[in-house]
Amino acid sequence: MKQFGRNWWGERFIAALERFTDAGRLGRGRSYASNGRIISYEISQSAVTAKVRGSVNPYYGIMTAPTYKTTIIFRTISPSHWKQVISKLSSRADMVTQLLMGEMPATIEDVFAELDLYLLPHSARDFESDCSCPDYANPCKHIAGLYYVLAAALDQDPFVIFGLRGLTREDLQAELAKTSLGKILADSLVKEEIEPEPVASYFTRPIRESDETDSANHKEFWSGARRLPPLPAIPTKSSVPAILVKKQGDFPPFWPKAASFIRVMEEIYERVRIRNPQMK
Amino acid sequence: MYIVHGTWIPANEQGFVQNGAFYLWVETDTALHNSHHRADKIHPRQLVGEALYTFLMDTFHLQEKISGFPGAPSNKLDMKYFLLPTAAERPAPSFELLRYVEEEPPTEFELAPWRIQCYQLTDLIATLNTIHFITLNAASDFQLGADLLFWYQYTQAFKEIIVRDQYIPAIKARTRASQSKSGKRINRNAKDGYELHPGWEILSDVYETNIQQYIAAMPAVCAAGMNSADEASALFNKESLLRHFSECLLRDVVASASFPNEMQDRLRDTLLFECINPYSSRWSTSSRLLRKATPQEIEEYRGWLSWRKNLTRAHRNAAFTLCFQLLEAEFMDIDHWHLHFLVASQQDPSLKLSLNEYWDLPPKQRTRATKPFGQDFEKNLLLALGSAARIYPTIWEGLNTDRPSDCELTLEQAFAFLKESAWVLQDAGYTVIIPAWWTPQGRKRAKVRLKTSSRAPKKSSKAAGTSYFSIDKLIDYQYQLSIGGQVVSEAEWRQLVNAKVPLVQFRGEWMELDREKMQQLLEFWQTHQGEGQGEISLMDMIKLGTESDDLEWEHDQALSEMLAHLHDKSAFAPITDPRSLQGTLRDYQRRGVSWLQYLESLGLNPCLADDMGLGKTLEVIAHLLKEREGIEGLPPTLVIAPTSVLGNWQREIQRFAPEIRTMVHQGSTRLKDKQTFVETCQQHDVVLTSFALVRLDEKLLHALKWHRVVIDEAQNIKNPKAAQVKSILKLSATYRLALTGTPVENRLRDLWSIFNFLNPGYLGKEAQFRKSFETPIHKDNDQDRLETLKKLVEPFILRRVKTDKRIIDDLPDKIEQKMFCTLTPEQASLYEAVVKDVEEELQNAEGMQRRGLILATLMRLKQICNHPAQFLQDGSAFTSTRSHKLERLSEMLEEVIDSGESALIFTQFTEIGGALERYIEHELHYNTYYLHGGSSVSRREQMVHDFQNPETEPSIFILSLRAGGVGLNLTKANHVFHFDRWWNPAVEDQATDRAFRIGQRKNVFVHKFLTMGTMEERIDAMIEDKKRISSLVVGNDEGWLTELDNDTFKDLIALRRSAVME
Repeated sequence: MKQFGRNWWGERFIAALERFTDAGRLGRGRSYASNGRIISYEISQSAVTAKVRGSVNPYYGIMTAPTYKTTIIFRTISPSHWKQVISKLSSRADMVTQLLMGEMPATIEDVFAELDLYLLPHSARDFESDCSCPDYANPCKHIAGLYYVLAAALDQDPFVIFGLRGLTREDLQAELAKTSLGKILADSLVKEEIEPEPVASYFTRPIRESDETDSANHKEFWSGARRLPPLPAIPTKSSVPAILVKKQGDFPPFWPKAASFIRVMEEIYERVRIRNPQMK
Repeated sequence: MYIVHGTWIPANEQGFVQNGAFYLWVETDTALHNSHHRADKIHPRQLVGEALYTFLMDTFHLQEKISGFPGAPSNKLDMKYFLLPTAAERPAPSFELLRYVEEEPPTEFELAPWRIQCYQLTDLIATLNTIHFITLNAASDFQLGADLLFWYQYTQAFKEIIVRDQYIPAIKARTRASQSKSGKRINRNAKDGYELHPGWEILSDVYETNIQQYIAAMPAVCAAGMNSADEASALFNKESLLRHFSECLLRDVVASASFPNEMQDRLRDTLLFECINPYSSRWSTSSRLLRKATPQEIEEYRGWLSWRKNLTRAHRNAAFTLCFQLLEAEFMDIDHWHLHFLVASQQDPSLKLSLNEYWDLPPKQRTRATKPFGQDFEKNLLLALGSAARIYPTIWEGLNTDRPSDCELTLEQAFAFLKESAWVLQDAGYTVIIPAWWTPQGRKRAKVRLKTSSRAPKKSSKAAGTSYFSIDKLIDYQYQLSIGGQVVSEAEWRQLVNAKVPLVQFRGEWMELDREKMQQLLEFWQTHQGEGQGEISLMDMIKLGTESDDLEWEHDQALSEMLAHLHDKSAFAPITDPRSLQGTLRDYQRRGVSWLQYLESLGLNPCLADDMGLGKTLEVIAHLLKEREGIEGLPPTLVIAPTSVLGNWQREIQRFAPEIRTMVHQGSTRLKDKQTFVETCQQHDVVLTSFALVRLDEKLLHALKWHRVVIDEAQNIKNPKAAQVKSILKLSATYRLALTGTPVENRLRDLWSIFNFLNPGYLGKEAQFRKSFETPIHKDNDQDRLETLKKLVEPFILRRVKTDKRIIDDLPDKIEQKMFCTLTPEQASLYEAVVKDVEEELQNAEGMQRRGLILATLMRLKQICNHPAQFLQDGSAFTSTRSHKLERLSEMLEEVIDSGESALIFTQFTEIGGALERYIEHELHYNTYYLHGGSSVSRREQMVHDFQNPETEPSIFILSLRAGGVGLNLTKANHVFHFDRWWNPAVEDQATDRAFRIGQRKNVFVHKFLTMGTMEERIDAMIEDKKRISSLVVGNDEGWLTELDNDTFKDLIALRRSAVME
């Protein structure tokens, strides 16, 4: 199985759009999205609504940056189709496992294809978009920008696209619960909120405590009460570096870069092990 | 004497980040001159200023390292305080220093702060390793304290966490305190937000185990450091200190790695950038550390938290371990290998369930079947499979179903799995079951085979006795190609080499093909094949067989029997006792002699390293007798031994083999003319001489070819550059034999030196040996090298210890041996003077006066035999050069302690007891106790308790014969020395029984010292006689000696001059 980059799912969404959208216009959205022009957005059922800051344009007499309302509405997949999709999906351990680990399964589209369906937009008819800006062409910069923001949201949570295509969380859970594998996934969809866990000190705080036995015997004070454990043999490095972090998959949520987190960690670990006067 | 101490001292700051540093200090046996140290709390025994700096730099070659970043370690001198055991307003010397100063450890003390100048250390792991390594090989004017040894060893153990990548980037959140207007801190509250501090976290089972093991062994002094005199009155809690140290160390180890600018740029604006630059980013102004985290940063932190949660969940897994079992393909269908999934219970790993079976169960039974594997079985199973698939993605292919149970592999995939992925999965905590033919034991390997045959025995030359071989070039060999122990033709080999696949079937089983290596072996074989038969010496064959992995041997029957024999020493058939031996050998001694004979017959020179007390001397004597049976005119054997044991050699030969003609080459009357020397030697069977004379009389000793050179106490030849050792190496002899009682295989320098004498070249040149064995074993604790070395030397060393099962059966529970020593010339002249005085006085003495005179004389002579200083009572030096008895005792104690055993020493003189205690503590530096009439009951109990405690190092316990008292239980000792004699066997036996009691699981060795040629030897002989004639009862004191008539008494005390050694 090939390794997927950080944004493979979002990228595939954009790529899907490119097939039936003016690539030049679409491309303008990328900088729009990354420049923070999307003030806020909201997903409600199959609709995404956003407030987008437009540009100042003295030529048209626009002297203060306007705010436009931008909307994208997806065409939904019918509940009966969804039933079939879910039933197929929940009979595949690989899909369930990846969703369980918070990733979009790489082969997810196969399931839809078997039923002649598409998860990602396949043609212009699959969604409608609208913007309150004066630009009559579609997509305008604002809609394109919203596409990119949406692409990033899809990477964060694989279930967002399910919702946009008309599957409510309740239906999803009800359908999943019908198979034993699916039930596992359904149970874990109730998300736990993670609370910060502040600590009192950066390093373990060395505390003082009087221990009578330490000052009881002169010899033990200087030599210890027990012999040292046997000297360890030279540790051999693991056959593969960074195993610990590898188990959790690549691109952890705190990692902002498009380059692989695991590759970087391998490099750091190796440098700490080898390029290090302390480890000679 | 310097004791180098060191410990970790956390900084005295209660901020969120509390740093710390490692400090060295040096305790000395000479006190500082300043007298005001008491008031100022300056530790009186320490190196300061220039002296401290110079000593550390010169000895350990420390590198200067100054860091500009606060919190980062730098090298510098610094004042620190330590809470140390203090009595009478003085800090007690450390346990190590006690042996070098005239001071008792305090029984009661309090902890008080002392000011000590320290040197701050950096690069701890590497620096402590260097310090330890240098100390191992350095001169003995300094040593490391137990505290520093602790930290050295802990940092070595900590390396594993670094080497195996068992730590993760981390974020630590700190709740911000709100500031009131006056600047005072008030309550902390989540609404004030958090500061986020990047760093590292250790996630490792090894780490947790280490912490628990090491805090149990940590000396309290490690927790005694302070930054100011009034910082605290209690020590640190050990666990918190060790964790603080470890976490700081990890930060520092990461910081000292080099990360190129290119990488730094790539990581900018990520958590990792701050993690790898802990010192520099921490205080930079742009740092987010000191301000409230933004919502985005909190989001990133939450992301990290959930990642870490999942990671620890995967790390600590469910109640089962996921297993992968590779099943091989059929030979006809080579691309269908199967990797099966199984689960094994963590509590009982033998309890396994294959997923195949699991899914086949009706749903109701599944719950029951998974009971041993914990709750939420299916969920945990999927998560485990998913984690494994991330490491080995091929697993995804097996998950393409609702009943995942296995995945299929092609031959290439199976090979890659065996080669690498299996290890990766295993390292990641999964169990991997692979076919037997892939395991190290079952693996078929391609090798070049040497087919060897021993050459038909030559007519043995006269000198070589019953040698089977001449010493060199004695084995013929032929090369063959072989796989898995089976000979393969060149054609078959080529066919395999040309196969396109990495795994092939060879004669019905799968095997790996290492084509490159097979190609090399083939080329080697082709170039050597033309040479036909080769020859190799036995020694080279043993060496090659141990060191080379690509060779395989097929020995003819004679050779394989011989090698089997060499490696299984227990299989030697005991010899029959030599006909003329006056006495009986123990069974293990018979086997020992048999082994000596066998090795010499193969031209291999042996090292007999039996434990002290097992009778190595007697084994050698029996060997000498045996080789003389039926053969006349063998050249003499030269025995080189320390002066202190020459007398014992002489007596033992006299006693057990009077027909062996022995000559002692020693003292000022020794032969000095070469021709006379050679001629006289040739009329003897054994020539005894001392190490010192080998060099002095080099010309004489090199003038003839010896039948054999025997080196007793062979650990004495460890310095190959010493003139003495050079002379020994130059001696010409047919055979060489080394005797030692120390566990020689653990002392690498001794080992090399002894082999350099016995079988030069076998362990390589000294520098070579250092590089390939000593450094890796001592510096890196390389077990593989140690194993190879042990295998190399094993055939040449016979070391049986008292605790061997087969030895114990041969030994009585109590083995008594007399240790014969000689007088030094100083002792002899004192002795003669006393005898002369007495002879005159005795003429005129009558009755009580005569009795008194006799007893007083015996007392004075005993004192002289012990040590001149005891007799003279002039406070002169109590050194071993003035008394061979003391010298011999020191040597024997060294062997006792080196073997990890403890001993009792009995004397009837309190002044000798005290002198011995000081001598053993301060010269030999062993842990020593002394119990005499003046010891209080509580002190006595404390000493016995300490001595018997299994955690106490091997120790020496001195007892005055009379004060010893009954009821003492000293069973930790299995050696008992009687330094002087009480002429009453019952009293001596009672003393011996202190060590020989119920609860004693070892055999007890009793060594009774006797000075030769003196009344000690003669009274002993009388007692032995009387024991035989049981009608004569020796009274319970020494009074019976006063019944002797004047002439008998004079004869008793007269000195036999011949027994004096210089």
